[in-house]
Amino acid sequence: MKNINRRDLLGGAACALAATSAGPAFAQFKPSRPIEFVVHGGPGSGNDVFARALTTIIDQEKLSPVRIQVVNKPGGGSTTAAAYVVSKKNDPHVIACFTNIWLIDPMVQEAATNRMQDMSPIARLVVEPALVVVRADSPIKTLKDFIDAAKAKPGALKMSGGSITSRENTVRQLLTQLTGARWAFISFPSGGERIAALLGGHVDLMIVDPSEAGEQVRAGKLRVIAQVNDRRLPGFPDIPTIKESGFDIPNVPQMRGVVGAPGMSAETIAYYEDLFLKASKTAGWQKFLNESQLDGEFVKAAELKAFLTKFEGELREILKAAGAKIVR
Amino acid sequence: MDIASGLLHGFAVALQPSNVFWCFVGCLLGTVVGIMPGLGPAATIALLLPLTFKMDPAGGIIMLAGIYYGAKYGGSTTSILLNIPGESSSVVTCIDGYQMARKGRAGAALGIAAIASFIAGSVGVIGLTLIAPPVAAFALSFSSPEYFALMCLGLALVVLLSGTSLIKGLLALLLGLWLTSIGTDLFTAQARFIFGQATLLGGIDFMVVAIGVFAIGEVMGSIEAGEEARMLPVPRGIRNLLPNWEELRACRFAFLNGSVTGFLVGCLPGGGATISSFIAYGIEKAVSKHPEQFGKGAPEGVAAPEGANNADTGGALVPLLTLGIPSGGSTAIMLSALVLWGVKPGPLMMTESPDVFWGLVASMYIGNVVLLILNLPLVPLFAQILRLPLYVLFPVIFGISIVGAYGASGRIFDLGLLVGFGLLGYAMSKLKYPSAPLILGFVLGDAMERALRQSLMMSQGDLSALVRRPISAIMLALAVVILLIPLFGWFNRLRVRAVTENG
Repeated sequence: MKNINRRDLLGGAACALAATSAGPAFAQFKPSRPIEFVVHGGPGSGNDVFARALTTIIDQEKLSPVRIQVVNKPGGGSTTAAAYVVSKKNDPHVIACFTNIWLIDPMVQEAATNRMQDMSPIARLVVEPALVVVRADSPIKTLKDFIDAAKAKPGALKMSGGSITSRENTVRQLLTQLTGARWAFISFPSGGERIAALLGGHVDLMIVDPSEAGEQVRAGKLRVIAQVNDRRLPGFPDIPTIKESGFDIPNVPQMRGVVGAPGMSAETIAYYEDLFLKASKTAGWQKFLNESQLDGEFVKAAELKAFLTKFEGELREILKAAGAKIVR
Repeated sequence: MDIASGLLHGFAVALQPSNVFWCFVGCLLGTVVGIMPGLGPAATIALLLPLTFKMDPAGGIIMLAGIYYGAKYGGSTTSILLNIPGESSSVVTCIDGYQMARKGRAGAALGIAAIASFIAGSVGVIGLTLIAPPVAAFALSFSSPEYFALMCLGLALVVLLSGTSLIKGLLALLLGLWLTSIGTDLFTAQARFIFGQATLLGGIDFMVVAIGVFAIGEVMGSIEAGEEARMLPVPRGIRNLLPNWEELRACRFAFLNGSVTGFLVGCLPGGGATISSFIAYGIEKAVSKHPEQFGKGAPEGVAAPEGANNADTGGALVPLLTLGIPSGGSTAIMLSALVLWGVKPGPLMMTESPDVFWGLVASMYIGNVVLLILNLPLVPLFAQILRLPLYVLFPVIFGISIVGAYGASGRIFDLGLLVGFGLLGYAMSKLKYPSAPLILGFVLGDAMERALRQSLMMSQGDLSALVRRPISAIMLALAVVILLIPLFGWFNRLRVRAVTENG
């Protein structure tokens, strides 16, 4: 419950800020036709479910005078969706749901030319914490055990995950830089295959969303040895974060939020900021966050923009060290 | 709760009037979605998800699962009638199903598809009921070397799929393997063969390739052959529209093969209905007494893949319901649906939410009966489509192809690709290149490359890891044997020639 309080506090503070800073500007923009909410995954992808849950809540609470329509633009990670958003320059009725890959794709793909900072960042809605897990019958009990084992047999331990640019690999890279321990990172296309490889004993470790691993942990199949987050999750009060485990690496947040088409006026951005702030404080949204084990952390446009620039630089260095080819 | 009382409890849940109704709605929607190329069960389930938030979890999951397995019943319809795969898992059905239709046995092919779907679908559910926990353990024991060996076994089928010329079959296969490597590489996040086109970063959609090569290529070939006005033969009388006794007898083994293959491949998190249908088809042809009939309208060539893609459903639900691991798009959305309803899918679901688990299992017995009753009467009706004169039918096929290819991705770019693959299919049939190996390469290539790279990363580059594990060693050996079969035939011919020359 501590978590809810913190969220309320944060929301309240942000709301007060909104009221003072952007006050009279709100009235100046009102959507005149349905809003397109672009999602870079196909129907059923994590982002799609997220965006549809969000629009359903906005509908139910009647927060928007017009319909918000989810538009799926899958293909090439975020590139198809980003290209679509950029093609709607100066259209105040086009917004999109972004995640980290909107920052990463333009860095590593020659053909992905649309950077998120050239669009109109509106708000960050959530960050997704992660858990470091091993099989329950593994001799590894703490992150230090794992690092020591990896040092003893360089390259022999294995971890399952997504692509080289994924957050799992970023964390691995940071730990390797700090400790010198090396272990293999094996890519699997779907979350199901990653967790099956760990449960089957074909890999030794995984960094995974709490929603994916929670039930396996509860059933005694997996053990959590550390958390990838700034603070401990309410569901896992006894598990140390990576920092608390004695490994001082920067936290790599996995975020989701809203970005608008390029050229949005300050009034329009303020309108959307307010809309999503209201949505993020509804009981329905809190329930969705709890069920999907996401951390609601609302960050407004100005702060988000500054954060993105800083984070992009950090990510570029980490990915370079991880062996990804950086093109811009 | 043991299996008998669990199932009894499940039927008590599934037979509640409201749940029977949701089961029927799901099956009906699934059939419709299956028939329409380009509209898949994953997208449909995702779009309907918000509507089910207020539903009781048992009723909700019964309906969503109905869409999932119902789509596999419907997928064969356009494959058989128009050579357009309705779902990606029905691609293999095109090969013999469409040829049956051209010979006037469209009704028979549709009937066999429905019956195979019913038998294998039911076998899959029985497997899910009785042996889910050991099967789940088997699925988890599959590591990357086993997946690699499984894909090799699949690719070895090219020998059986390539018709008269093995060289042409292998060339078509290589083209398929290359096409599937287009896009972003999972391991390095680097783009391959995209020619500066950001649209190609996500790779080429399988449905675009299949529809282009099969449907468009075929129609262009037929138009050129001067079949302008002749209609395809459709026999009169309801009896002639259903499979006859001999056709059903020929499919005896195919029903069993499809059921077992589909269930086992389906339970692997890295498997899938398309792969299992190809493998069932290959097994069927390998053991057949008359393999030369395959590709020319063999009823077994419809029964085996259609059975496999339905038994796959029961298989795919094994890791989903016993471990909480989804094995594909549709099951992943069903998983998130369960979470949103407050059910906790995972190893404990069977004991903590018996209503949902056993209710769903029981509803699938009912659903398979519903689908058979729903689909069989439609057979004579759908077969009438072929009565259309060809100057009407061919534009209809083009139209459905275009809608299907666009619907799969929603990108105009894909329509250009569709035209390209249509021309490719046409050129291949003109030059007598078989198209099935290309499709096979496209389906298996990606998974095979991935499994090989994963295996080598796990073994730190040691190739012997591929044969050190028993299951992968057996499958690789089988693949080698299949590849050597034509060589034996060649030796035999040499020997016969030597003998006759000597004598």
